[in-house]
Amino acid sequence: MGNFLRRRRRSPSGTGPEEPADPELLRGMRLGDESALEALYARYGGLVYSLALRIVGDPELAREVLQDTFLRSWSGREAYDPERGRVPWWLMGIARNRAIDLLRSRSHQARLREQEPLTVDTRARESDPHRDPADAVGLRRAVTNALQGLSTVQREAIELAYYGGLTQAEVAERLRQPLGTIKSRTREAMDRLRELLGPFMEPQGEAW
Amino acid sequence: MTDEHEHIVDDLAAYVLESLEGFARARVAAHVATCAACARRLEEYRAVVGALPMGLTPVAPPPAAWVAIRAGARERRPRASRWAWPASLPEWLRVARWPAVAALVALLVVWNVTLQRELTRRAPGPAPGPEVEALSRRPGRIVILQGTGTQGASGRIFVAVDGGGHLAVSGLASLPRDRTYQLWFVRTGSPAVSGATFGVDASGRAWAKVTVPATLDDVRAIAVTEEPAPGSAAPTGTHLLDALPWR
Repeated sequence: MGNFLRRRRRSPSGTGPEEPADPELLRGMRLGDESALEALYARYGGLVYSLALRIVGDPELAREVLQDTFLRSWSGREAYDPERGRVPWWLMGIARNRAIDLLRSRSHQARLREQEPLTVDTRARESDPHRDPADAVGLRRAVTNALQGLSTVQREAIELAYYGGLTQAEVAERLRQPLGTIKSRTREAMDRLRELLGPFMEPQGEAW
Repeated sequence: MTDEHEHIVDDLAAYVLESLEGFARARVAAHVATCAACARRLEEYRAVVGALPMGLTPVAPPPAAWVAIRAGARERRPRASRWAWPASLPEWLRVARWPAVAALVALLVVWNVTLQRELTRRAPGPAPGPEVEALSRRPGRIVILQGTGTQGASGRIFVAVDGGGHLAVSGLASLPRDRTYQLWFVRTGSPAVSGATFGVDASGRAWAKVTVPATLDDVRAIAVTEEPAPGSAAPTGTHLLDALPWR
């Protein structure tokens, strides 16, 4: 994990040395450089689409989220603040909020039904023409391993809140557990992830 | 550590996941603003949440998505590019640009004072959409916001002739990192449109670019609310600032 981290620092954002880092792309976008937007899309479009698909469970809605995310980043409607984390976190935050807004705009029952794809394995749909450098694969593996390091009930609590957009009370209702139990599981899960992902958790860094 | 602190620590993870509502959420926000240990923990949790989607396997989007994004991007160039000085600007104009900016600012201040007097004479009460249009679309016009939910706060929206806008605010409280102020154009019969998200400095001031809606015909109010970062799709907080004509 340590070697991986050092390699990432030499190569920010999972790009080669000749490719601009994420903040440079954002600067280009602010000046209206369409190629910067295209590069950012090539770098994170697949991940944003994957996140949107995971949350809304519908390719058309996921495409809507994807388009809206990049257009918001382009138009300046969503300003990036380096103090609040890295560029991909910011992009994923826009996408998640947009996807959950879509999810919440539907009836509760329909929403519950749409949560079923949470367990769907997206690997079958993967064709991945977007760049997926070795660093990104390594990071993905680290996060996947960390999630697998949680107990089933801990992972469930985190996933329902993050991907399902459910409140703690809704998670408790969904899992038929006391609210206090759900809060404890969520906290324990977060502490465990913090421990497992420790070397990657540098908000100001350039680790990816 | 106090009981209050222990309760908050229990809620921090849910707070970062935006999975808390109402009082519990407000209680965490208030506590984190004054507790360095919880603020640090919050940052660590925020980093974990930021990393979570990185564990997903990228799925190739349909080609039509990029086509739509490119087309949309060409329709709405970033605000900054509109304000960039053209590379071919003659040298004498380059030299003169800053005095011109200073003159423009002075002009806006005069307009501001004039408009303050004009609005002070107005009777309170809701104004129709065309009134907003008149206030907001006139060249170099300024719309005044006053603190309805925060005493002593005020703001100005400067709207340029091309529809680009800027917001200047003072008197608002600093927010924790997971909260943001958001400017809204509240419309009749359709959802409110976000004009900007912004934070304030230590002295409670902010200067932000504003995305002004293409049409203001159906805008009945302009307001600032406090929202979860990076901003909400619709206003969820109480109005902290409102445009004076709609008070």
